[in-house]
Amino acid sequence: MTALLDSAALDQAGDTGTTLVRLIRAEFMKIRTTSTGELFLTGFIVFTAMALTINGFGIHHQLDPQQGLAGRAQALAQARAPASVAKMAASMMTSGQRICVLFALLLGVLIVTSEFANQTAAVTFVTVPRRTTVIMAKVAAAACCGALFWLVGTVLAAVATPLFLYSQHVSTSVAGWAVARSVLLNLLAFVAWGVFGLGLGAVLRSQIVAVIGAIAVYAGSFGTELVFSALYNLFRQGWMLGAPVIGPAVASEVMTTSGPAFPHAPPGWTGGIILIGYTVALVAGGIALTKRRDVI
Amino acid sequence: MVVLLAVVVIGGLVLLARRNRDGPRPDRAGTDGAGPGFPDRPLGGKRVSAALMSLGRIEVCGLRKEYRGIRAVDDLSFTVEPGRVTGFLGPNGAGKTTTLRMLLDLVEPTAGTATIGGVRYADLDQPIRRVGAVLEAGAAHKDRTGRDHLRIVCQSAGIPLARADEVLELVGLGAAANRTFRGYSLGMRQRLGVAAALLGDPQVLILDEPANGLDPEGIRWMRDLLRTLATQGRTILVSSHLLGEMEQLADDLVIVAAGRLAAQGTVASVIGSMTYLSRTLVRTPELGKLAAVLGSDAVVTPAGDAGAYITGADAVAIGDAALRAGIAIHQLVTQLPDLEAAFLELTAGKASIR
Repeated sequence: MTALLDSAALDQAGDTGTTLVRLIRAEFMKIRTTSTGELFLTGFIVFTAMALTINGFGIHHQLDPQQGLAGRAQALAQARAPASVAKMAASMMTSGQRICVLFALLLGVLIVTSEFANQTAAVTFVTVPRRTTVIMAKVAAAACCGALFWLVGTVLAAVATPLFLYSQHVSTSVAGWAVARSVLLNLLAFVAWGVFGLGLGAVLRSQIVAVIGAIAVYAGSFGTELVFSALYNLFRQGWMLGAPVIGPAVASEVMTTSGPAFPHAPPGWTGGIILIGYTVALVAGGIALTKRRDVI
Repeated sequence: MVVLLAVVVIGGLVLLARRNRDGPRPDRAGTDGAGPGFPDRPLGGKRVSAALMSLGRIEVCGLRKEYRGIRAVDDLSFTVEPGRVTGFLGPNGAGKTTTLRMLLDLVEPTAGTATIGGVRYADLDQPIRRVGAVLEAGAAHKDRTGRDHLRIVCQSAGIPLARADEVLELVGLGAAANRTFRGYSLGMRQRLGVAAALLGDPQVLILDEPANGLDPEGIRWMRDLLRTLATQGRTILVSSHLLGEMEQLADDLVIVAAGRLAAQGTVASVIGSMTYLSRTLVRTPELGKLAAVLGSDAVVTPAGDAGAYITGADAVAIGDAALRAGIAIHQLVTQLPDLEAAFLELTAGKASIR
């Protein structure tokens, strides 16, 4: 075939990676070449800083309780006990997790829905007609974005936490297992929420519907505690006290909180399984629908 | 409360992310191009091998697509040959875009097949190196530069990123490469779509209304480009509403109406099949007498200035009749139908919106 021009570029080798690897790199290019990623990262840093500040105030009040002299000494001893201090350090290191996973969730939504909002889905699927591979590349990109948010948040917390604890005259290491466990579970939460958003976006396609849906699912999850609390008052069934874990956001809380996230909360692994279960189901549904649907 | 605040702030960020960062506003008064057009130099005319010919042949066979009981495309069959520009014509809603999207595996046919070189698009190895497609002028992220848009396609397809700059120069968008898509005029968007289609230097080009929004210079550029590509042995399938333009550009035509094939063939044969639409212009000082001798099949419509259009009798019959009756003829011209007349006749009465 005669080349249109004397193409020096086409004589060179392109990206020789597998289709999936090429597509993952392309997804990162998509995120880098618009302002979306920068805006989300900026917002995330601001919220993490706010969360660290608020958390710091809370812990400061625990470490320096303003009570009567006798009670104060007891509270001080309790607060500064090694287990309590480790819990505080873990809390500081995961500051803002409850709010900040929303950034991963919504960026996951946008990674797939922006293709339909900007009518680039046809270009994407004409370039690579293997739709499952395209969605899997987006899953990988959403997971990496979640991990990046976690990394940024953790680095900020890793700088702020020792400085804060030192200022409170508390000597503890942030490298202990309790803290590390919380930090790693936090990573799992960020990755899961990023992929959750991606799956939701793939199922719903409409950007505005998916963004509202994602926020509604996240915020609405916390309503499950109220619903099951009311149901328990009516029916007095013990299992209802732990049932709020079926809400994805509550499941995430249960997974990442060291100790019970709420009274009668099930063990942490239950939350992890439920959150990952929702995520896998959404991605599977998204792939199935993407393969079946016409791109108009 | 904190969750509510976060929702409001993040919602605002999502909205902000959809807005332009720094791109210039569209230059509505500007031309569609931003630089020189397609290089005006001979590029091809090479002999195309039989193997390449078969690789570039588009075959649509018994294609059907139903949407909620409505047949958008109904038992459509046609072939598009390499080395030729084939115009794909039809009224709005005739099923052109649906057919092109079935060809590109974007829409699943209810029945039938659409293949390129005997292979379904989805089964092609490196499809973008075989087929280039221009589907919509607005198909790029508004906040992304034209260059980045093309580089992303290159990255996905494993084509060197430098190819993006080559095709941008080729379509005359080199000077606007780093402007955001939001700042592109409709004509520039069309050019970017063509640039994306040319990234893989494909054998086959499928273009859906590529001339929409182009100014006269842009239309001429597009015509020259497509003609050059066809001369190189490539297959060009292009849908359009611009019948006059298509009459100049296309070698072959596929005309659809109400999802069905209305006509297929060379431009000359399609128009030629409509000879019953031809008419004869006659100028004579004795128009009434001529009308009387022509017989009842002839319909005479006065056209002023001692002239009339006559249908139902050709120029030979009119000339012979005038000679026999001793009528002076000052002008006798056969007017064949143009593509527009043929198109309107072929698609008449077939509802375009169903």
